[in-house]
Amino acid sequence: MKNTDFKAMSNHIGGVSRRDFMKFCSVIAVGMGLPIGMGAQIAEAVTTAARRPPVIWLSAQECTGCTESLLRSTHPALEHLILDLISLDYHETLSTPSGRQAEEARAQSIKSNKGKFILVVDGSIPVKDGGIYCMIGGKPALDILKETAKDAAAIIAIGSCASWGGVPAADPNPTGATPVHEILKGTPVVNIPGCPASPYNFLSTVLYFLTFKKLPELDDQGRPKFAYGRLIHENCERRPHFDAGRFAVEFGDDNHRKGYCLYKLGCKGPETFNNCPSILYGDVGSGSWPVGTGHPCFGCSEKGVGFHAPLHSLAKPLYLTPSTFFTEAYPGKPETSSSIKALGAGTAGLVIGAAGAAALMGMGKKGSDDTKDKKNKEE
Amino acid sequence: MALNRRDFLKTVAAAGGGLLLSQATPSAASMSKELPSEAVGILYDSTLCIGCKSCMVNCKVENSKPGGALYTKGMQEPTYEFTNERIWDAPQDLSGKTVNIIKAFKSGTGQEKDSPENGFSFLKQHCMHCISPACVSACPVGAFVKDPVSGIVTYIADKCIGCRYCMIACPFKIPRLEWDSAWPQVRKCQLCNHRYKEGKYAACCEFCPTGASIFGKVVDLRKEAQRRLSLKPGAEEEFPIRTVDSKEKTVRAVPRYVNHVYGLTEAGGTQYMLLSGVPFALLGFNPNITDANLPDLTWAYIAKIPAVAAGVIIAGTATWAITSRMDKNKKDKGE
Amino acid sequence: MSNHADIKLMTPLTKVFIGIFGFGCILIIYRLLFGLRAVTNLNDYWPWGLWITIDVLGGVAMAAGGFLIAATVYILNWKKYKAIVRPAILNAFFGYALAATSITLDLGRPFVIWHPLVMWQINSIMFIVAIHVVLYTTTLATESSPMVFEKFGMNKALKTVKKIMVPIVIFGVLLSVLHQSSLGAVFLITPSKLSPLWYSNYLPTWFLFSAVLMGLNMVSFETILSSRVFKHGVPKEVLFGLARGSLIVSCIYLAVKVLDLVRLGAVGLAFNGNFTSNMYLLEMVVGVILPIVLLLKKSVRTNIDRIFEVNIIVIMGVMLNRLNVGMFGMSEMASRTGADYFPSFSEFMVTAAMVSVAVVGFKICAKYLNLFPETEH
Repeated sequence: MKNTDFKAMSNHIGGVSRRDFMKFCSVIAVGMGLPIGMGAQIAEAVTTAARRPPVIWLSAQECTGCTESLLRSTHPALEHLILDLISLDYHETLSTPSGRQAEEARAQSIKSNKGKFILVVDGSIPVKDGGIYCMIGGKPALDILKETAKDAAAIIAIGSCASWGGVPAADPNPTGATPVHEILKGTPVVNIPGCPASPYNFLSTVLYFLTFKKLPELDDQGRPKFAYGRLIHENCERRPHFDAGRFAVEFGDDNHRKGYCLYKLGCKGPETFNNCPSILYGDVGSGSWPVGTGHPCFGCSEKGVGFHAPLHSLAKPLYLTPSTFFTEAYPGKPETSSSIKALGAGTAGLVIGAAGAAALMGMGKKGSDDTKDKKNKEE
Repeated sequence: MALNRRDFLKTVAAAGGGLLLSQATPSAASMSKELPSEAVGILYDSTLCIGCKSCMVNCKVENSKPGGALYTKGMQEPTYEFTNERIWDAPQDLSGKTVNIIKAFKSGTGQEKDSPENGFSFLKQHCMHCISPACVSACPVGAFVKDPVSGIVTYIADKCIGCRYCMIACPFKIPRLEWDSAWPQVRKCQLCNHRYKEGKYAACCEFCPTGASIFGKVVDLRKEAQRRLSLKPGAEEEFPIRTVDSKEKTVRAVPRYVNHVYGLTEAGGTQYMLLSGVPFALLGFNPNITDANLPDLTWAYIAKIPAVAAGVIIAGTATWAITSRMDKNKKDKGE
Repeated sequence: MSNHADIKLMTPLTKVFIGIFGFGCILIIYRLLFGLRAVTNLNDYWPWGLWITIDVLGGVAMAAGGFLIAATVYILNWKKYKAIVRPAILNAFFGYALAATSITLDLGRPFVIWHPLVMWQINSIMFIVAIHVVLYTTTLATESSPMVFEKFGMNKALKTVKKIMVPIVIFGVLLSVLHQSSLGAVFLITPSKLSPLWYSNYLPTWFLFSAVLMGLNMVSFETILSSRVFKHGVPKEVLFGLARGSLIVSCIYLAVKVLDLVRLGAVGLAFNGNFTSNMYLLEMVVGVILPIVLLLKKSVRTNIDRIFEVNIIVIMGVMLNRLNVGMFGMSEMASRTGADYFPSFSEFMVTAAMVSVAVVGFKICAKYLNLFPETEH
């Protein structure tokens, strides 16, 4: 990226230096599992974009937590970075206008950016009774979503609520809260679950899309693999304690104070896919995620676990292939072990050799008949 | 030397008496084949096991205390497999330092728990505490003893001569020798019987987080095992943790069990029983192990010894008497 | 009485044997100080290896000749075998002494080998074996004592021993029958480990038969070898008799083994080309069938050199049987776990040392005791 290009847009990113900006892009790249050199590509794409890509952010049955955590990153001026790199045309919390003007701004953006804007949705969509349980500007969120999604270039569902239902969808789900991808069946939707979702997972996805003009690799639940490809259990810093059988049994007991594994307190890490242990949360330093603070993970990003499984019930570790460190119960080697075979072969050689030699010697001589000798002697 | 008629008859009488006596000893000496009255044991449900190895760690800690299966006088800390490390104990098998081990079965991609194809499962391997133990009958000095009340098979190191016949006899290959020691003993699980006087029970069960290992009376464990086999797969059911009669339960979907409780009848029945989602042969159990009672096989020979002894004495004496008489006759006839 | 005083004791070969024995002693001390793993390759999946199978099982089988010839001479009163009764008994004594020594060294705790004498566990076949070894070694010592008493002119002792010789021999027969078969009974408790090719509830009986076979051949072998080494004549009729005996026992043994195999339904197993099957075939074909085929020929049966060769084959065949029952026959299940065993150099050396001391010991006895009362140079 040329220095001149950077200078041209530096005022858009609130005075962040070029160096810090490059660092940031590299971190984003690495966080997505891309080679570190791609950071430059991301920076290039972002700064030389002819126009800032427009984003329409719809909110339905949400708590605004996803937005709030996005703004809480401690990198200096990051909120400016996000908001200035993209053109946030509609956001219920962050928009300057409100009411009818806000709705008009949304309609205008859709019209002028047909097929080019990124649609971000947080919160689940109630469908019961015609969707009256979440109305914005007198219209059900259901309808708003459908009409906006039609013309979007990419759709991102941020947070557990938008990804699989979240809190509003917890039993008995009185409002019929439904995730975005079930409303927009057939349309590719990127799900970034979490309660709240990690701001970096969201940011990386958006930047990936802007750089490579396609969505990152997704798993069967539409989640980016770079963030949701592994169980929390597989990256947890307390995993050695789990493997060594060291568990906290009660909050505040000795083992808990020593930082032992929280499995027995109901940690759902073994059945939750996310990258919390790796990238932590909120940029406040090490240990800034639930397990790190001593509270078991409750599977906030996992459908069927978060807001469904009781907090302190034991998790069932899924898809957990035993490490090669376990001795095999049944190696199933059908062949005789090599040394024993060698010993047997050696013994066989000895026996056959002796027998063969004896037989050959016997066949050679006709041999003196010793009975004849004796008879001769006696006579 | 001439054996007169009187002596000859005396010998025969003695041998005959011995023969009669020989019928009396076998029943008195043969070993018990019945489950003891207060027999305790462990039920291991492989489908509940998550391979956390908490049982291994705590087994080693508890058994390194006085009276424990791994205890040696003067030990400061549990015996680690790699003694120089002292931080990380990574036993790969049962040994003179490890009496309980978790092993894993894996096939193909190893993705699905308790599936024989492309799946994985765990095994907790330790002494089966057989109802009619081969080791107890095999030991020439009686170093293995089966408690007549609890049925626990314990080991008296002071008697052991290190002949390793117990290792040959045990069909489950459990006793392990301290090969590195100049005064070795054999080590195996003793069901934490040194903890009973404190009101505690097997450490592996006490520390198992999921209830894969539960302790209790064998009759209760058998009932619990049968109950689990009768449940409908997929239904959410309660499973006790730590002991079979515990109030603490975990709720789980019932898995697809192999319809067999291992240890109910194998080798004459064992007090450590297992349930599994994969065939037991895949967990390493020797498929050649039958329900046959092993001590009986040896006893079938030993019981015949008095008869054989009597037979040889009678036949030998008679033969000698006859042939020496024939010789004497030849000599008398002047040949 | 023949004079063997002119036997040269320190021949080069004897020096080699003594050297091996000396080296073996060093290894034995090392083993006693540092434990089994320091000297052997035995492990938890192969707790019994070379020492048990060759030194103990093989050694005891080899010594069966003692009770057979003693019984033949003193019970059956077949006088013609008197020529070989002393060396046979001495041989057996050495064999048992060495088997006992080997067991002691193989034990994890050799210094408490006396425990089975005071701690009785009568369900254990090992206990029976232990008691037998002690009793029989004593019996053999008693049976061997006449030549020692003769040498030292202890006539009163000699007279006493001769008086009780018959009961001692009967007792020796009893102990041998039980001992040889109980070594087979040791493996009765391993039906899930020992291949059906060998495992049978008649295993003790088969061990007895093969021990008798081995005994006859060992006595014959040792007689012929002594005659060549000590350069005295060989009692031909005795050897022909032993060869005939060997033929008869071999035929019986072959018959019962085959019948047992059929009864157990394991005939197919013998021919499936696996390692254990091949070892079984080797043992039966070379160790039993071949000698039968050879001995059926009169030219073999009546030729000392041929008999000597057949002796070697039979001895190796029965040794192989002991190796099979004690080691190879159980290899399938042990191999499944990936475990392996090959005897260490030290194990081979200690076995060699045992054999060496027996050979040299026998030679010393031949020189100084009246071992061959009816031979001539």
